[in-house]
Amino acid sequence: MRRHLFILEFALSGLCRRRYKNLALLVAYSLLIFIISSILFLTHALKREAELLLQSSPEITVQRLMAGRHALVPVDWVDTIVSIPGVIDASPRYWGYYYDPFTGANFTVLGVRSSEFPLKGREDLDPEDCLIGSGVSETGLLRTGDSLVMVDPEGIARPFRVAGVFSTSSSILTNDLVVLKEETIKRFFQIPEGYAVDLVVRVANPSEIDTIAKKIKEKIPSSRPITRTEILRTYESLFDWRSGMVLSMFIGALLAFFIFAWDKATGLSAEERREIGVLKAIGWDSSDIMEMKFWEGLVLSSLAYLTGTITGFVHVFMLGAPLLESALKGWSVLFPSLKLRPVIEVYQLMVLLFLTVVPYMAATIAPSWKAAMTDPEEVIRS
Amino acid sequence: MKYRRFLILLITESLILLGLLLWGHYRGQTEFVRLTGLKDLVTSLMLTDLSIWTEARYTRHPSQTDLFSAFQDCPGCLEHFPSGSIVSVPPHLRRPEEIP
Amino acid sequence: MAIVLEDVTKIYNPGQPNEVHAVKGVSLRIGKNEVVILKGPSGSGKTSLLSIIGCMSRPTSGRVLVNGRDVAKLPERFLTEIRRQRCGFIFQQFNLLRGITVKENIMLPLYPAGVSLGEIKRRTEEVMDLLQISHRANFRVEQLSGGEQQRVAIARALVNDPEIVLADEPTAHLDTHLSEEFLRMISEIKGAGKTVVIATHDPLVYESSLVDRVIHMRDGIILEEGQ
Ligand SMILES: Nc1ncnc2c1ncn2[C@@H]1O[C@H](COP(=O)(O)OP(=O)(O)O)[C@@H](O)[C@H]1O
Ligand SMILES: [Mg+2]
Repeated sequence: MRRHLFILEFALSGLCRRRYKNLALLVAYSLLIFIISSILFLTHALKREAELLLQSSPEITVQRLMAGRHALVPVDWVDTIVSIPGVIDASPRYWGYYYDPFTGANFTVLGVRSSEFPLKGREDLDPEDCLIGSGVSETGLLRTGDSLVMVDPEGIARPFRVAGVFSTSSSILTNDLVVLKEETIKRFFQIPEGYAVDLVVRVANPSEIDTIAKKIKEKIPSSRPITRTEILRTYESLFDWRSGMVLSMFIGALLAFFIFAWDKATGLSAEERREIGVLKAIGWDSSDIMEMKFWEGLVLSSLAYLTGTITGFVHVFMLGAPLLESALKGWSVLFPSLKLRPVIEVYQLMVLLFLTVVPYMAATIAPSWKAAMTDPEEVIRS
Repeated sequence: MKYRRFLILLITESLILLGLLLWGHYRGQTEFVRLTGLKDLVTSLMLTDLSIWTEARYTRHPSQTDLFSAFQDCPGCLEHFPSGSIVSVPPHLRRPEEIP
Repeated sequence: MAIVLEDVTKIYNPGQPNEVHAVKGVSLRIGKNEVVILKGPSGSGKTSLLSIIGCMSRPTSGRVLVNGRDVAKLPERFLTEIRRQRCGFIFQQFNLLRGITVKENIMLPLYPAGVSLGEIKRRTEEVMDLLQISHRANFRVEQLSGGEQQRVAIARALVNDPEIVLADEPTAHLDTHLSEEFLRMISEIKGAGKTVVIATHDPLVYESSLVDRVIHMRDGIILEEGQ
């Protein structure tokens, strides 16, 4: 026991002796773990957020396919669908995209009925009013009372008075929204009477969703029902970090680090080889030397691991992932502020541990093993 | 002895991490309340997607998209990066179409 | 401790183009409390032989008997054990570890020995007193003069209270005055009842009066043995 403590002590003094080399290694290594943990935390949190929020999205969305493309849905489909047992309600949705040439942003324009008006403390929306997401408000420099101008299919610019701005805390849902009254959006987009963009279906019993979707497809062959589970699964695979190309953007950095680490950690310097020889000559066993290297690697990689995960956590959950945001954003003009619910699973931390600490230990211990096994005489001579 | 210093450093960092996780747990609960509020918004606006990437239809509404959605906006369009590579084909499109 | 070598050879890189026969069939006996010199020009196999005597490397063939037991075929662990308990080495370049203090350097051989920290400190202070370097205990070795480094190297070789002390060209980097001082320390070590084996081609050392035996080597064989 004492022996291990002394060897640990000597290993640590070794870390201190090669201060700059080890510090550089620690910094590079922590940085790598910081990047990987940031991606891991961010994608996981987004996934959980989607899972939680989209649980209350409509059970089934029904689209219409015409000539292989989306087409407007006849509103009288509602009657056919409501007649299916288990369906509580079906209602048309009116929404569309609007490209704003001034800001270069794409808005999602959404129509609401007064009866299901979303904002508390606000009974209704005037036909000429709109509600906008915080992203729209920021890019267009629009505040409550200002006018949002959109050009209709006829080429006529139509102003809408901003009656309210969604708070940033909801920006993950509302960032690019422009909410209009249902009549207004129908008029603005010139959606023909008797048609809607798609239909949403409410189902009483979740276990019946799939059968009902099937029935809809049977009754209306040109329809395409999308169930909520499918939506959730879309998001589940969306933030699957293994397929995340963000990671691939850092592969360059990753490679650079491994070359660096390979060089610094695996190739023993002549000085280190000599020291191993001296230690062996004065009575250290190969196992003692391996133990020393083990402690060295363990301390260094645990320090890097902890530093990396701590900074990753702070970066993602306290600062809103500013460094990743620019990478994730891509061509999006509107991007929500990533105020995420801090959810971390022990599993993630373990994955990170095994992806980082274990290979490092292996890579550092292997070459010393070779040096420790040879006769001390040869090690000292060379 | 040096090992004390390193031990203190490691323990401090572990405690910070633990503290952060606890903070996260606590925050997670208050955030849960906020998100539950947002769920009402999802219900009343009948939303099906998060508003993360807005540059293309298939990244804005991945759940509503077409199978041929990449390059959909115009034939010469570039694939959108990185969103286009993070967003994958939704399951309802992968399921074989049943022939009636 | 008696060490007996029987027909010992050492071949480096056997079977390869750069094969070297460094030691060719050497037999010799080193008795207790002797001061033995391995003398010979550079490349004559002194270092190779010395490291075989000190259990630092194994002979290619032949037997090495330490207190009557053949150690040439024993597993590494046992050789380490012998080095740890019975041998003290003084290297040509001193081979002290840079960046740590004199005291830590001297303590190194005791770390894997399983003794308590108090015991380690006691023994370290004892040898530091003996070699008059206590005032440099907390200096880093690179801050010391050549003579002081020499003393630290000797202190490190003595801290485990070995039965045999081995030195490879110990005076190669020292001036006459320091070489004489080294010999004085060797005579003290001999006085303490230890065996000393020195590989050297420095006349100052092999002509010294405290030497019991000079073994003259050339091309890996013993030419003659003299007093
Ligand atoms: N590791 C080695 N590989 C190959 N040849 C070696 C090795 N070590 C020593 N030699 C050769 O063995 C011979 C004896 O070397 P050495 O024992 O160091 O002699 P000395 O100490 O008397 O100068 C020399 O020719 C040297 O080049
Ligand atoms: Mg030599």
